[in-house]
Amino acid sequence: MLKPKQMSKVLVIGHKGMIEPTIETLHELHVMHIEEYSGGDHFKIGKPLAGAEQDSKKLLKLRSIASFLGLAKSYPSGPVNAERLSSELEEKLEALDSDVSEKLERKLSIEADLKDVETKIHEIEPFLGIPINFDLCRGYDSLHVFSGTVKKGMDLESKLRDITSEYLLFTNSTGIIILFIPIAYRTEVSDLLTECEFSEVRAPDISGTPDALQIDLGARRDSLVRDIESLASEVDSIKSQYKEFILASEEFLTIETQKKEAPLVFATSDHAFMIEGWVPDDEFETVRSRVEEVTDGRVYVTKIDGAVGGGNVGDCDDSNVPIEFDNPGIVKPFEAVMNLYARPRYHEIDPTAFVFIAFPLFYGLILGDIGYALILLAISLYGRSKLHGEGWNSLFTVLIYCNISTLFFGILYAEFLGFPLAGLPGHPGLIHGWDTIPLFAGLGGEHITYPIHRTHIVMTLLVLTLIIGVIHINLGLIAGFCNVSKMHGIKAAILEKVSWMVLQLGAVIMLLGATDIVSGILPMGAGILVLAVIMMIAGEGAVAVIELPSILSNVLSYSRLLAVGLSSIGIASAVNLMAGMLKDSGGLLIVVAAVVFILGHGINTALSVIAPGLHALRLQYVEFFGKFYEGGGRIYNPFGYKRIYTEE
Amino acid sequence: MAIDLAAAGIDQILANQKGLIAIGAGLAVGLAGLGSGLAEKDIGSAAVGAFTEKEELFGKGLILTVIPETIVIFGFVIAIMMII
Repeated sequence: MLKPKQMSKVLVIGHKGMIEPTIETLHELHVMHIEEYSGGDHFKIGKPLAGAEQDSKKLLKLRSIASFLGLAKSYPSGPVNAERLSSELEEKLEALDSDVSEKLERKLSIEADLKDVETKIHEIEPFLGIPINFDLCRGYDSLHVFSGTVKKGMDLESKLRDITSEYLLFTNSTGIIILFIPIAYRTEVSDLLTECEFSEVRAPDISGTPDALQIDLGARRDSLVRDIESLASEVDSIKSQYKEFILASEEFLTIETQKKEAPLVFATSDHAFMIEGWVPDDEFETVRSRVEEVTDGRVYVTKIDGAVGGGNVGDCDDSNVPIEFDNPGIVKPFEAVMNLYARPRYHEIDPTAFVFIAFPLFYGLILGDIGYALILLAISLYGRSKLHGEGWNSLFTVLIYCNISTLFFGILYAEFLGFPLAGLPGHPGLIHGWDTIPLFAGLGGEHITYPIHRTHIVMTLLVLTLIIGVIHINLGLIAGFCNVSKMHGIKAAILEKVSWMVLQLGAVIMLLGATDIVSGILPMGAGILVLAVIMMIAGEGAVAVIELPSILSNVLSYSRLLAVGLSSIGIASAVNLMAGMLKDSGGLLIVVAAVVFILGHGINTALSVIAPGLHALRLQYVEFFGKFYEGGGRIYNPFGYKRIYTEE
Repeated sequence: MAIDLAAAGIDQILANQKGLIAIGAGLAVGLAGLGSGLAEKDIGSAAVGAFTEKEELFGKGLILTVIPETIVIFGFVIAIMMII
């Protein structure tokens, strides 16, 4: 806890003949983070093992099949034996491939046909109702055929008669005309048509009358659509038949290619290979004994000392060390919260444990409502059992922690969906007979009671939240002190971090003096304040003066613990008030009241995840981490694979 | 509309003052909220842009986005102090 896993830089050197068992062992151990070899004078970058190319081809084929089938990753019913899979992989993959490519071809040809038919239907549409075969519109020597649209309301026929009586005109409701005239009148008729704003619509190059064609093509389209549907169900049956095989063999091939391509990051000479990487300290002995055992001691595994800086941490660049969290299981889900920000650096304090305490605490302090806590607990418990995967699991577990804390504060505040459970004089609570018990006096004439009515002791809670802020920020400063003293020595740590604490002390003394709570200490406070500023300038330079007001805004920022909570109560009681008023009106409005109640609290439940979550998170990220945390460590990504669908 | 002080009596005057305080408190939170919103809209859109390009920037983006939120908290503190 508080520190990332301690790492050692490790060198694995051996004869090239031993490369395969070494890779096999390292892959199985899944603990070594391999550093990529980028080339040099004496060594070359290694070549992939035999069979790597075939495996990647198969993998590519498999992935394209999976994407054609639209296969989604799901939780396996039971892992497949890797050896059996490897023996039948080739044959099964061939069968699957031929099945799928036949389907794919059919799908493409049907889709092309369908597109063709749809285009034709679209072309015919304007001509519907004209009783001539399209064949008759083409191929004359002595006739000319116009087909197209003219402006509506033009008396075309009478004007035509002025030119000639030898014509044949067809028209329909969509405004299309087909006009046959002897070729001799072509120019005159063409001029007339221009007058009527003629625009040509070519008759489609099909034979048949429009109406008959429409029926034919419509039937053809329907049959093609049915074909596609039946094809889709065939694809579905392939999908369900091969699903487990595809998922398992994808995993199998991924592992195989990973192993076979591993030498690409190794350094090799003509006869030897060298792997450089990082192994957690407590795993080093296992790695060494296993590798030496498998290779009869012909591969040499050694630690490189001083890679992460032994005594003098400040001189060492720790940005290369891969970071693996080292937290107990209960804290683990909060590593996701850390990953959202940045992994710690190697020599830094890992604040996951602080976040584990402060985040749910702040969340509960803000929300503090039994009703919402129970709803969200139910949702997150259900979600955790239904949705698998590391991300979901962490998210829901964090939500569960947060809502246990919310439940605790809910009981302390005795709030249920915005209703006070306990009564105040003149205001009965939801539970009859539960009266608020006065305990002691708070600030500004307020009375602390059990249960706590947040809306009645705003001033006291405001001061309380600011005190929480001071404590949290000073925790951050202490962590910062540890970090700086480790990296740059105790003097720098005092000047950079302790100065802020001295500043706060000075401010408090001045405040006590100025308000005459303790008289005559105002000058002392001012002196301490000046001392703090001098320390800061000595530590961080004159720029530090610009940072001075930030301590005030940081502390004030914690008043959101109260503010966001009050706004949540505000929304909830507004919903309750509206629903109550509707209910009292009676009749059908009772149904409306129920809708308002459910909808309103539904929205407020969603807000209850977002608002307290984001604000509690912000207090960690901005106010707390700002005091000490740098982050930016590399993610520890050990060579190996977490099998889901296969087993050895 | 002028208030006849003598006729209104002390209760009425106090009630009017309370109303003015409430308006003042509302303005303190509301205007401060507007200020936060104005600042956050630009930062937020830039942060989302950065986040889509590089996913690791989520944490940093979130922090930058919520920094101006402190403004409305100041407004809130002032409002509370006015009301009480």
